[in-house]
Amino acid sequence: MKKINVAKTASRGIVAAPVYLYEEADLAPSEAVVSEQEKALEKEKFDKAKEEVLRELESLSAENEIFAAHLEIAGDFTLTENVYEKIDASMNAQKALHMAVEELAEIFAAMDDAYMRERAADIKDIGKRFMAALKGIRLPDLGSLNRGVIVVARDLYPSDTVKMNPEFVLGILTEEGGVTSHVSILAKNLDIPILVGIKGLLTELTDGVIVCMDADLGEVVIDPDEDEQNKYQEKKVAYEARRKHLIALRKTEPVTKSGRRISLCINAGSPEDIRKAMEVGADGVGLFRSELLYMEKDHFPTEEEQFAVYREAAKLMPKELTIRTLDIGGDKTLPYYTFEQEENPFLGWRAIRISLEMKDMFKEQLRAILRASYFGHIRIMFPMIISLEELQEARTLVEACKEELRQKEIPFDEKIEMGMMVETPASVILAEKFAKEADFFSIGTNDLTQYLLAVDRGNKKIAAMYDSFHPAVLAAIRHIIEAGHKEGIKVGMCGEMAGDPKAVPILLEMGLDEFSMSATGIDYVREIILEHP
Amino acid sequence: MVSKKIVVSNPSGLHARPASVLAKAAMKCDSDVVLAVGDKTLNPKSILNIMAAAIKKGTEIELRCDGKTEAEDLATLVALIESGLGE
Repeated sequence: MKKINVAKTASRGIVAAPVYLYEEADLAPSEAVVSEQEKALEKEKFDKAKEEVLRELESLSAENEIFAAHLEIAGDFTLTENVYEKIDASMNAQKALHMAVEELAEIFAAMDDAYMRERAADIKDIGKRFMAALKGIRLPDLGSLNRGVIVVARDLYPSDTVKMNPEFVLGILTEEGGVTSHVSILAKNLDIPILVGIKGLLTELTDGVIVCMDADLGEVVIDPDEDEQNKYQEKKVAYEARRKHLIALRKTEPVTKSGRRISLCINAGSPEDIRKAMEVGADGVGLFRSELLYMEKDHFPTEEEQFAVYREAAKLMPKELTIRTLDIGGDKTLPYYTFEQEENPFLGWRAIRISLEMKDMFKEQLRAILRASYFGHIRIMFPMIISLEELQEARTLVEACKEELRQKEIPFDEKIEMGMMVETPASVILAEKFAKEADFFSIGTNDLTQYLLAVDRGNKKIAAMYDSFHPAVLAAIRHIIEAGHKEGIKVGMCGEMAGDPKAVPILLEMGLDEFSMSATGIDYVREIILEHP
Repeated sequence: MVSKKIVVSNPSGLHARPASVLAKAAMKCDSDVVLAVGDKTLNPKSILNIMAAAIKKGTEIELRCDGKTEAEDLATLVALIESGLGE
């Protein structure tokens, strides 16, 4: 028996199951040198493999657009020419392919654009497919599972997970990858417990050995003894009973014992997120991150593209959909727009500052939001506000867009509310003044904490100083809530803190009206609200 | 041989999608096409070549076509780039 502890966790769940080692097939190239006469044959081998790869990708691309891009690259003549050249230099087809793929991947990995760097992984993925075809082997396939297992792998890529049957994948453990990598996000969406970044894991395990994992605590037990197995069995039963209890509460309105009805909302980035969260019984979307729409495209999304997304979201959550206007810059960039290098990106050209400068782009978004407001109850929220002038200018632009729509006789919600994120020290200090101009407040604790404490969110060395429970942060939150209530506007919170079980009782005490968080936190927060005096 | 200089106007430069549009159009040309950027030249019939060159917005590129259909090929490609390559 051996226990491993993992520091960073991003999912929940307790599983005990046999291991399925998802080992990479042996894709090392042959080192054989080819003679003059064999060269034509090697090229033929490559052509055949290419045909096979293109056929595979063609059928895969019908289901998933990642593979449409792979198809285009696999068919590109540069790759073929490069392989041919290497065969002419006496390499065998496998070696030639290996070298060509490495060279190409290196070119992309060295680019200064993050989006392009990620394409290196695509190229390696394609390389694997070619190599398997050349060697006549089948890549391991998660689609062929027929019993419940914990999948253990170095890392899992889109081409590994595309055929995965979630019914039999009870848990996932990987050696590489972070909590925001492809497989982490996928597992979270499918509600599969996952732990990532466990160094040296593969050497500890053999196929079929029993492993217990607690995704919440970050604990992995390899080959547990009977005691440990029983302990896990009890934990699992208790966890499932609690889950059942929480799920049963979903129909209960979140009202405190003293009768205060709290609004419980989710944070979402797409209609897809909302659809997945429908069952948790949220009152609405307290934060719709419109930047995701911008980040996943390869161009600034048009008014029509945005309208379609917002309308769909508004229809899914008719009670409330709070759309935050483009919040880009800082740690978030766009694949198709080059941001200048900045000394302090978090204090730089970001969020509302970009929107107010790129007015045409901003107005496209505002028109799309207004048009969608006809189909539900939408609120507009401006991020990163530091001055009344910014808020006024943004509101004026909304009014201008309204007028344009009136001219064209396009319907929208005339009384649409316009609020702001309170996440800068300036907006905290001037909260009373802002409360007169804004229709609602939403406290963004992630940025507010880093700005108030002058502690960089991403700096590992001072991670312990990043504390949303710091007296200064708590005092700021109290001040914001009081300032809002004095003017009769609602105050919500959409940062991580709103879903933190330790913070919820404090925030309820301060009078916070709305809690908005990732959908997985709703069940736990509802329980706290129901038990609050 | 005919040639023409153009400035790339795509907001994100010749990224995945515009690169794909350009490569597909260049593929249809019968003449030999060369794209020169700075002191580098590349064959724009390959999407990988175009993407690997990481051509940003505002960069001046030169298109050269050589072959029987050079005049019309050059005109087609220049018009396509000027129109924003489907963006």
